[in-house]
Amino acid sequence: MLLATLLIPVVAALAVAAAPADQARRIAGAGSLAFFGATLILGAMFDWSRSAEFQMASWFALSAGEGGVTVGLAVDGVSTMLILLTGLLAPLCVFGSFTAVSDRPRTFFAWLIALQAPMAGVFMARDIITFYFCFEFTLIPMFVLIALFGSSNRRAASVKFFLYTFTGSMMTLAGLVYIVWFNATRLAPDGAGAGAWTFAIDTLMRASRSMSGSEQAWVLLAMMAGFAVKTPLFPVHTWLPLAHTEAPTAGSVVLAGVLLKLGTYGLYRFVLPFVPEAVVAWAPLIGVICVIGILYAGLICWVQRDVKKLVAYSSVSHLGFCVLGLFALNAVGSAGSVLYMINHGLSTGALFFCIGMIYERYHTRSMQELGGLAARMPVWAFFMVFFTLSSVGLPGLNGFIGEIMCLMGAFQSGATWGVGGTSGPLGPWFGGVAATGMIVSAIYLLYMVGKVVFGPLKEPHGHGGAHGHGHGHAKDAGAHGALPVDLSKREIAVLTPLAALCLVLGLYPVIALRPLEAPVAANLAAVEAVRSVVAPAEALAGVEAEGAGR
Amino acid sequence: MDAIATILPTFLAAEPAGAHAPGAQVGSGPPWAILIPLLPLLASALCGVCAMLRVKSKAPAFIVVAMLGASFLATAAVWLQGGGPGPMAGASVAHGWDWIQFAWGDGPGQALIANFSLYLDSLTLLWMLFVTGLATLIALYASEYMSHDVGQGYNRFFAYFALFVFAMSCLVMGDNLLMLFLGWEGVGLCSYLLIGYFYKKPSAVAAAKKAFIVNRIGDLGLVLGVFTTFVTFGTIEYAPLFEMVGAGVDGSGHALHGSWQATWIPIFFMIGAFGKSAQLPLYVWLPDAMEGPTPVSALIHAATMVTAGVYLIARMYPIFLLDDAHTALTIVAWTGALTALLAATIGMAQFDIKRIMAYSTVSQLGYMFAGLGVLTTTGAAFHVFTHAFFKATLFLCCGAVMHGFAGQLDLRKLSGVAFMKGWGVVGVAMLVGCLNLAGFPFTAGYFSKDMILAETFVTPGSVIGGASMVGWILLLTAGLTAYYTFRVFFRVFVGPQMYEPGEEHGHAPHRHDHGPGHPPGHGEHDLADARDQAQKDEPGGAHPHGHDFHPHAPGLAINAVLAILAVASVLAALTYFIHKPDHGWVGAMVHHSTAHFGGLDAHHGDEAAHASHGSFLGLDPHKAMYYVSAVIGMVGIFVAWLLHYRGRTGAAVAPADRLLGALGPIPRWAQQKWFVDELYDFVIVKPLWALSNVFHVIDKLIVDGLVNLAGLTPRGLGAGLRPSQNGLLHSYAAGMAGGIVFILLVVWAVS
Repeated sequence: MLLATLLIPVVAALAVAAAPADQARRIAGAGSLAFFGATLILGAMFDWSRSAEFQMASWFALSAGEGGVTVGLAVDGVSTMLILLTGLLAPLCVFGSFTAVSDRPRTFFAWLIALQAPMAGVFMARDIITFYFCFEFTLIPMFVLIALFGSSNRRAASVKFFLYTFTGSMMTLAGLVYIVWFNATRLAPDGAGAGAWTFAIDTLMRASRSMSGSEQAWVLLAMMAGFAVKTPLFPVHTWLPLAHTEAPTAGSVVLAGVLLKLGTYGLYRFVLPFVPEAVVAWAPLIGVICVIGILYAGLICWVQRDVKKLVAYSSVSHLGFCVLGLFALNAVGSAGSVLYMINHGLSTGALFFCIGMIYERYHTRSMQELGGLAARMPVWAFFMVFFTLSSVGLPGLNGFIGEIMCLMGAFQSGATWGVGGTSGPLGPWFGGVAATGMIVSAIYLLYMVGKVVFGPLKEPHGHGGAHGHGHGHAKDAGAHGALPVDLSKREIAVLTPLAALCLVLGLYPVIALRPLEAPVAANLAAVEAVRSVVAPAEALAGVEAEGAGR
Repeated sequence: MDAIATILPTFLAAEPAGAHAPGAQVGSGPPWAILIPLLPLLASALCGVCAMLRVKSKAPAFIVVAMLGASFLATAAVWLQGGGPGPMAGASVAHGWDWIQFAWGDGPGQALIANFSLYLDSLTLLWMLFVTGLATLIALYASEYMSHDVGQGYNRFFAYFALFVFAMSCLVMGDNLLMLFLGWEGVGLCSYLLIGYFYKKPSAVAAAKKAFIVNRIGDLGLVLGVFTTFVTFGTIEYAPLFEMVGAGVDGSGHALHGSWQATWIPIFFMIGAFGKSAQLPLYVWLPDAMEGPTPVSALIHAATMVTAGVYLIARMYPIFLLDDAHTALTIVAWTGALTALLAATIGMAQFDIKRIMAYSTVSQLGYMFAGLGVLTTTGAAFHVFTHAFFKATLFLCCGAVMHGFAGQLDLRKLSGVAFMKGWGVVGVAMLVGCLNLAGFPFTAGYFSKDMILAETFVTPGSVIGGASMVGWILLLTAGLTAYYTFRVFFRVFVGPQMYEPGEEHGHAPHRHDHGPGHPPGHGEHDLADARDQAQKDEPGGAHPHGHDFHPHAPGLAINAVLAILAVASVLAALTYFIHKPDHGWVGAMVHHSTAHFGGLDAHHGDEAAHASHGSFLGLDPHKAMYYVSAVIGMVGIFVAWLLHYRGRTGAAVAPADRLLGALGPIPRWAQQKWFVDELYDFVIVKPLWALSNVFHVIDKLIVDGLVNLAGLTPRGLGAGLRPSQNGLLHSYAAGMAGGIVFILLVVWAVS
């Protein structure tokens, strides 16, 4: 099932590339829907009552014997949720780009579809070869999308995106390879993988925990280098605003919706359980970085002139919350963080769609040229305000649950003075200071809405005007039919599922929270063990026994 | 409705209540109580459907009025079923559905639970009765008031309006702090959307933004309060929470008296309350909020939403009382008093009657907070209750004037309105409202204000520092209040009849709040064009005596609502005389809830109780205050009569003007709101903006600059490798795949 899910986008991409150009959209649409359908079936087949366990495991040996390269796939509750997010965004991106891309549609849609496979692969990977291969392979389609279909400065943006994230993840690879080497050479064979060359995540996870404190710290640093850049975390975030501004709409949606989550997913899946000792030791520093990032990037948003850049910077600020929750090293923080990944994907993805729809009509994203568009496009304005509110973290919409849980996780982490506190490296100060980010996000997002959506109508020269019918100007003439003034049915159909999900996750979040309880606890077991007991080794043994009993 | 009431719970009950049932002491309430919030939500959704279908009739108004009316009936039914018409005994929880549930252990405090459940006790129902009741009436009023927007923003307006009632019911009825927060932010959102209803007007957009952001500062306090509460008690559900607080212990059974939590949890909640209820230093958003349509000002920014802070403190009162030093309550009392005074001084100098009402709201909220601070939750709640009626009346009267005179709100341009043809109801209602606000003897406002004033002198200074000083400030403010209230009345509603229409006259009828009733179809052209046109047409912006303008007297809906509200404002006084031992019906409702303050004797032992009767200049404050405040109120009214009515021959000038010279720049400074906005701008907004720009530059030059620098270093190296950097993607892909294969080979070879 998992392999089939991965193969669908690959096949679809090949089909798009092979078919005639005028069929590209149709085939891409069908392929993306098939991929979405596959992820839905996957979600239905997954046994949510055992969401901590890795299910539907399948291993393919590419070379035999010890140290043979294998591809291992399996999913737990967290990865299934992220795969569902990937699956949902795929058809939306395809259908959302129908009119935006007129030049070389085959190239665009083929790479857009192809991108889905490695992204889903990252979430399924149970061995580090698969993981790393997929993690890196996402770069190429994204690079193409930015470099060929981006805005004016696309060349620089794509190169920077590629080199920056590639450099970071090389270091991650070094860290992972070190663990492989450590497992093979430094551990006595135990018949369960230790002392042998293997890439299986489970084995390596056990192995890396027995590394010394300083080894763990170096591995942590190596892993952080890749994952923090990808997330992106302050101060290694500067590739993101550039990449977002230059990327085509679908590229931005995928970038914000899923690609950034590869970084946070890496932190969740690898950093926390692999190097718990180092994590416990360094979490306060990472927490400080997150808090700085939340406020720093949030304030920078406020002075942006380009709507898309504003939302891009807001991603930096928002993912600060996400990582802060993760490094609270408690259940609430971790669950909040996972929810944040999903919610950010939905609402920021949707915001990029909204901005793309404006760009398609006006060919500008400058807040100096646009204003009061609610008067011209009330339906668009509704969605824009809706997703902005989700992004601000309004209770009742999805963004709130993740944000409040990340903050609360940070707050209660180490708050041992109360029964509702947990052990942990952060504390009320982290949660409290980060919570001022709520004010900052309200400032910049409402500033944006106040300028672009509300206020007196302002349109760039040559657009709109009193006649108010279409924008059939020379620039648009090449596009697929003139777009209506307000959103077309297709555009509404793209935004509606996202809005509905925002509402469902906001009003009935237990459907996501209950399945997260077990996997989050399992993922934190190693950290808990390091923290709670003086002798970590024995504690780990205890945790393993407990984990086996689960 | 009964049919819905029976079907809905079965649907909702399909979801099991979950392992974490609320505390056993609190019974379960009627499941259909969930209709109280859901009916307005349904109404809002239906208005949304109307908007989608582009309905061009008054249908959304009728839907909303009907649904809100049903919600009011449901509230009344819950109340009567629970033992009304008096207070209900105890509390119950009506489970709606599971909202947030996340457990990480089985022990206490190892699960975060916030269900969509309702906490039903007398305090909740007291609030809900007037919220749903007033909302229904004001929606009816708005059906006429907003009629110029039919087919324009009418659907949107009523969707927001109903959504507000939903959020407000969540705030008041939620059985846990996160649901309260849901409502808290929800009312903030609706306030934002409704203040910015005229979204083409930059000032409205700015005011909306300001309201939301200033409120968010308060929300930060609330969030910290929620977090601290959870960590301390291990729960944020009221039922188990109040059980622990009642016993004075935290979640692990340790005594809380003297702990830092007992001091700080109330302070955090207090900050939240200051934001929502527009107290110093966070009051600045409320006057600007008057950019919204007047029914919104009446419902949200006078009667209901702004009392949410009072509700929060009253609801959390047991936690406030945990602090033996009463730090938070002392701050609350003083902030309330100072806010009351400051807002009154500003209100005295304004010319825009709606703004005057806005400042009077801030000022009256100050009274409520002072009441909470000096340990009279009853007084505070009673003032909330009476204020809701008379302030709604006042706002709706101002709205009727605004509606009829093309947006004219300047008290220098209107006079004698009450005696014009068709304006009688407005005039009488306005008089009733003004008498209440001024604290004229035997009005509802008089009794409720008295209760707070008397208590400031009863509460010993050893318990709430400077309580009697608070009382003196409030007494002074009472005089100022009577003066500025009747300044409006004597200038606008009585005296010689004259008017100048407001600036909306001659504009497209749908552009603003209230066009002057031109036949529709007059302004079909583009809105922006209409404004430009209007500016060209009317350089002066005003017509002397409106030679082509006729005031548009209110119609049936507006008059009926004003009449009902005026009567209700009067009748509110009668509630003071039922349940007399509890200081009136409102007192009885409060006493049978967690907001009940057991009295100083229970709280501080016999010694304090002995001293607790206090004194006002040697008299019993309870008795003396009846006379003192009556006299002060009447003096204020008399001064207003002297300065603004006697011998006044025109609208623009009054005898008061002669005094202005003697006061120097003070009236001008007061009119400029003591430059508080400018101060905030200078101290907070500008520096933050500058800092943001600095960060932006740092980000570009340093954070990114270093990266680019690092990128340059290998460029020299790269020159040699240039042929491989051919920009062809296939070769990049091939290179990468090759690299990975290479790594795999190395690993394989080593093994």
